[in-house]
Amino acid sequence: MNQPVRPDVPPSPTPYAAPPHGVVGQSCGRLDGATKTTGAIKYGADLFWGRAELFVKVVRSEHAHAEVKSIITSEARAVDQVMGVYTHNDMPGTNLQGLILRDHEVLTSGRVRYMGDAIALVVAESEATARLGADAVQVEYEPLPVIDSIESALAKDAYPLYKAGNIMGGKRIRKGNVDEALAGAAVVVTESFETQSVDHAFLDLEAGVACYQDDLLTIEAPGQWVHEERRLIALALGLEPEHIRIIQPATGGAFGGREDISIQIYLGLAALKHPGKTIAMRLDRAESVRARHKRHAMRIEYTLGAKSDGSLTAAKVTVYSDEGAYASTGPAVMRKAASHATGPYRVPNVSVDVYGVHTNNNPTGAMRGFGACQMAIAYEGMMDRLAIKLEMDRFDLRIKNLIQSGDEVTTGQHIQVATAVECAEAAMGKFREVNGGLLVQPDEAHLRRGFGMSVICFGLGYGDGFPDCARARVAFDDAGKAVVYTGGVDVGQGLINMVAQVAADELGLQLDNVRVVAADTALTDESGSSSATRQTYFTGNAVKLAAEEVKEELLDIAGAHLQLHPHEIELTSGFARAIHVPGKEIAIKELVAQGKKRGYKLDQQAQFKPGTLCEDFDTGQSPRSFVTYLFGAHVSQVLVDIETGEVKVERHIACHDVGKAINPQAVRGQITGGVAQGIGMALMEEVISKKGRILNGNFTDYILPTIKDVPHVECIVLENTDPGGPFGARGVGEPPLIGAVPAVLGAIQDATGTAPNILPCTPERVWRMLQDGTNA
Amino acid sequence: MTWHLECTINDAPVTRDIPEDLTLLDFLRDHLGLTGSKGACLEGECGSCTVHLDDAPVCSCLTLAAQAHGRSVCTVEALAESTTLDPIQQAFIDTGAAQCGYCTPGLLMAGRTLLDRTAFPEANHLLTSIEGNLCRCTGYASIIEAIQIAANESKA
Amino acid sequence: MFYRPDTFAAALRLKADHAAAIKPISGGTDLVVGLNRGQSLGVDVLDLTAAKDYRRIDHADGSLILSGGTTFAQLEQLDIACLARAAASVGGPQIRNRGTIAGNLATASPAGDGSVALLALDAEVELAHADRGTRWLRLIDYFEDYRQTALGDDELISHVRIPTPSALQASAWYKIGKRGAVNISLVCAAAARFLDGRICLAFGSVAPIPMRAVQTEKLLQGQPLTGALLHQAAQAASAEVKPIDDWRASADYRKAMCAVLARRVLEQLQTDDERQMP
Ligand SMILES: Cc1cc2nc3c(=O)[nH]c(=O)nc-3n(C[C@H](O)[C@H](O)[C@H](O)COP(=O)(O)OP(=O)(O)OC[C@H]3O[C@@H](n4cnc5c(N)ncnc54)[C@H](O)[C@@H]3O)c2cc1C
Repeated sequence: MNQPVRPDVPPSPTPYAAPPHGVVGQSCGRLDGATKTTGAIKYGADLFWGRAELFVKVVRSEHAHAEVKSIITSEARAVDQVMGVYTHNDMPGTNLQGLILRDHEVLTSGRVRYMGDAIALVVAESEATARLGADAVQVEYEPLPVIDSIESALAKDAYPLYKAGNIMGGKRIRKGNVDEALAGAAVVVTESFETQSVDHAFLDLEAGVACYQDDLLTIEAPGQWVHEERRLIALALGLEPEHIRIIQPATGGAFGGREDISIQIYLGLAALKHPGKTIAMRLDRAESVRARHKRHAMRIEYTLGAKSDGSLTAAKVTVYSDEGAYASTGPAVMRKAASHATGPYRVPNVSVDVYGVHTNNNPTGAMRGFGACQMAIAYEGMMDRLAIKLEMDRFDLRIKNLIQSGDEVTTGQHIQVATAVECAEAAMGKFREVNGGLLVQPDEAHLRRGFGMSVICFGLGYGDGFPDCARARVAFDDAGKAVVYTGGVDVGQGLINMVAQVAADELGLQLDNVRVVAADTALTDESGSSSATRQTYFTGNAVKLAAEEVKEELLDIAGAHLQLHPHEIELTSGFARAIHVPGKEIAIKELVAQGKKRGYKLDQQAQFKPGTLCEDFDTGQSPRSFVTYLFGAHVSQVLVDIETGEVKVERHIACHDVGKAINPQAVRGQITGGVAQGIGMALMEEVISKKGRILNGNFTDYILPTIKDVPHVECIVLENTDPGGPFGARGVGEPPLIGAVPAVLGAIQDATGTAPNILPCTPERVWRMLQDGTNA
Repeated sequence: MTWHLECTINDAPVTRDIPEDLTLLDFLRDHLGLTGSKGACLEGECGSCTVHLDDAPVCSCLTLAAQAHGRSVCTVEALAESTTLDPIQQAFIDTGAAQCGYCTPGLLMAGRTLLDRTAFPEANHLLTSIEGNLCRCTGYASIIEAIQIAANESKA
Repeated sequence: MFYRPDTFAAALRLKADHAAAIKPISGGTDLVVGLNRGQSLGVDVLDLTAAKDYRRIDHADGSLILSGGTTFAQLEQLDIACLARAAASVGGPQIRNRGTIAGNLATASPAGDGSVALLALDAEVELAHADRGTRWLRLIDYFEDYRQTALGDDELISHVRIPTPSALQASAWYKIGKRGAVNISLVCAAAARFLDGRICLAFGSVAPIPMRAVQTEKLLQGQPLTGALLHQAAQAASAEVKPIDDWRASADYRKAMCAVLARRVLEQLQTDDERQMP
């Protein structure tokens, strides 16, 4: 169990001193903007038109937990236009899936563990007949006891869902001596929090097409990591990865929800069984919600100790997290929760235990924030409570305890550039611009106004020794355009512009002279997943490195042409220019043509692989748990109707240090979008299920924030250069959501005098909280 | 049973025999290949399928295709005139309002109605005009900005 | 079969002839949701949206007559506060452009916002038959039980009449939902005060049907709305409603909210007392 910490800390990645001089830092419009606004761009389900020949429908379990006694497919096969019905017996490969553990059967052979488990696959000539076929599959179940909550999973006589029981595993942090420190603390606050199950609710439902032809299985379906999907599909279907091609269509959001395999293996199986035919499959909203993994619901018990001056001395944290039926990315989420248990605060004595608990709910895995989000709710909730107990200002208490550059976070990693204090001060400064931060209470006696704040940190990338690498290729095509090849997927976050802008800047080109080929396993190299807020840092670096190589070639060619030393030439605005001789220049297009004739490749590949260290499993310590850390701070102002419990967010300020905004507009988009999702999580979003059956699996009942729920978000983007990021950039994807939730909760507490500890804060929960003095 | 549908779609007359329980959304996407309109919830909650039916924005997922008989339907595909984008499309690009882009067609159609009906939309009108459209990516800020820009442009 | 008559009379004829074997569709905002969820229509469809005069709003004999096909978008424009606000709270613009008052009354959801506002206005609904003619029913007599109404299999909803809009002094509306727009109410309330002093109070989402709080109304008749009376009325409303627990909200919460909303809408009637409705 115990794995020693490697003493040799790898050096931080090469620092890039050169500042951007071209399109990096500019809010260039999206390269795919035109096709997105004309409706021309094709998402998964748009590929059906003119192509789909056969349609797939999956039969899913009617029980949250049962032994499948028999599967009778004869009647389904007899349905008109049904071309095939397949079960686990027809799976050519391992029939297993799962991102970390391969613990989840693609088509169940024995036991179903949640209501999304698939039992059979029907292939038919239309969607309607596929559905009729699916309805005709007869499955005999022997129901087993359903474990539908953390409590029932942990009960003494609980039915064991797995041989090893219901605890999937755990992660811990041990640092200093917590019990001693708590005993000696001047103040101790204890609280428990319950966070909810959340659905990614991307609008673009899982849909795609596949075809098996000439020994190649081509699958066009949205995911978050085409190369890993290819590996998983290959394993489950017993194919060599070389015989599979994954192409990512345009993708309407992901938020972690496309990390687990969704429809790809079903599409692949159907394609193998019907060679030469184009197979189509899509989920409707109800099936998507029923099948897909969710954000971990967590029960967090938190005890925080401090000296009378407010300095934190100890944190003792126990987390039970609902892993649902299968592991998914659960082990990594648990680790992320553990390593972010005390957030951006200096706490010398820490003990954290995170337990993953299996239930018959949907598997839980990646979702924006990835465990760090739930912990921020807890540690920021604790800071608010501690401030009250100490009768200290919430802001001052935070500033006092925030880490500074060089300090360590709870894993023992020293943070080179820690800008939590700058973020907090900037956000509060902005808040105070209106009326000095003094809130005016409304005239109506039932309305109360309040504000809350949060300061958060987030470790970027997979971390903890998990292989994390991005590759990229930059080449000039025959038309003289630079082409960036990346395996990374753009799910809407703007990866395409990011890589194009990085390459354009490096090569001194205008953006319209760059083209991007992304997320096609036949054309691009592996670049890791679009998750963990990592693509700007990782793929951005890989693209920059490849572009630097091409740039060297260009300068060489230009040197010969302009009769200058390459160091006397700069690439800018589409030209190679003599730095010291005005007017002496040549168009890069021209250089490319010349160079190609003279045998220059102008086609370079690079990889970026900074490396992290696996933690010591007993103490959770790692000197380099993550490649870098992100910081952010939010201030939120709410109006609460204390009679009805309705909450309205009136103002929201979000400050994030992104190192360098490659595209400031895209950065703001990530921030405002993250805040909207945070407001959703704080106030309304919740997957409600009973005995493993989801009760609100559609958009009428699983509600998302509308424009009337999200105020104009005031964004502050700080740019304290990251020593290892491309042009000093870090990333921005996840932190805005993480920061938003606790700020809204703190504002409710400030407005009402009562602190919520169960999410989401629906009108009824807030009302009840005010009736009972707690929303438990 | 089929219905003999005659209507106008994006200014062109369309005549088809269609199943009577076919929704307008499925008709557009599966029968005409107009895949710009999206189906994300099929319950009228998200607005991704918004089209104009005789100039009013409606959810094409909740309208039967047969109900468009004798009427005029306009989809996102008809916003741009050949290669010239509508000002609202250009504004969506310029402000970054199309992130993942999936809600974009519906939002463009809802926003276009506002601009057609109101020369000087007040903030509250603007918000209400798109309250029936969900966006999961942007937090709406860039969308509001885009519609405002397009409104100013139309005024000029 | 799909029928799309261009007059309401023709629609009535079809409905009378086919009775339960034909299903009317107006905006489709309830019906097609069900269709998309896999509930087949199972029967022929009678599309009312091509019928002339199905979307009219008329003034007659001091009454306001709304055709069944009047949409929420049209209702929003009316100068009757509770109805306009209720209509404005329905879905988004796309739903309000299609959803109709007849559809709302026929669906008879306990959460029907249009139904609740019309109940408070003491409106009447006209149920029409091709041969038997029409009958007017007060809405309070129209809703019978959970999604059951007095509407016959062979009838259509032709009109809704708000008997005395000129006699209306003030009306008020409040809806609690879980977000800022496009809400199914957790609880909603409407109240109206007529020139003759009569006050009507109605609630949504707190009983099997959109309900009038008749007991509470009795307390209020002919009395000045003092603080003490408001308090009493709030308690009475809370006692009178019969909500259930479901995952959207608990019965406790709904009961408590009836008290809060009763007080709010009644207070609103007072502040708007001077307002002259057209
Ligand atoms: C996203 C969304 C949000 C919504 N929000 C709300 C809300 O906030 N508040 C609310 O109250 N409702 C809401 N609804 C429900 C719906 O919009 C309303 O109930 C609307 O009034 C239904 O009208 P319709 O014309 O669309 O009905 P349809 O769907 O056409 O018909 C509904 C029922 O009425 C019958 N019917 C229709 N016309 C007649 C007639 N003339 N005579 C007899 N029977 C008839 C039909 O046969 C059917 O059974 C919402 C719906 C959606 C999709």
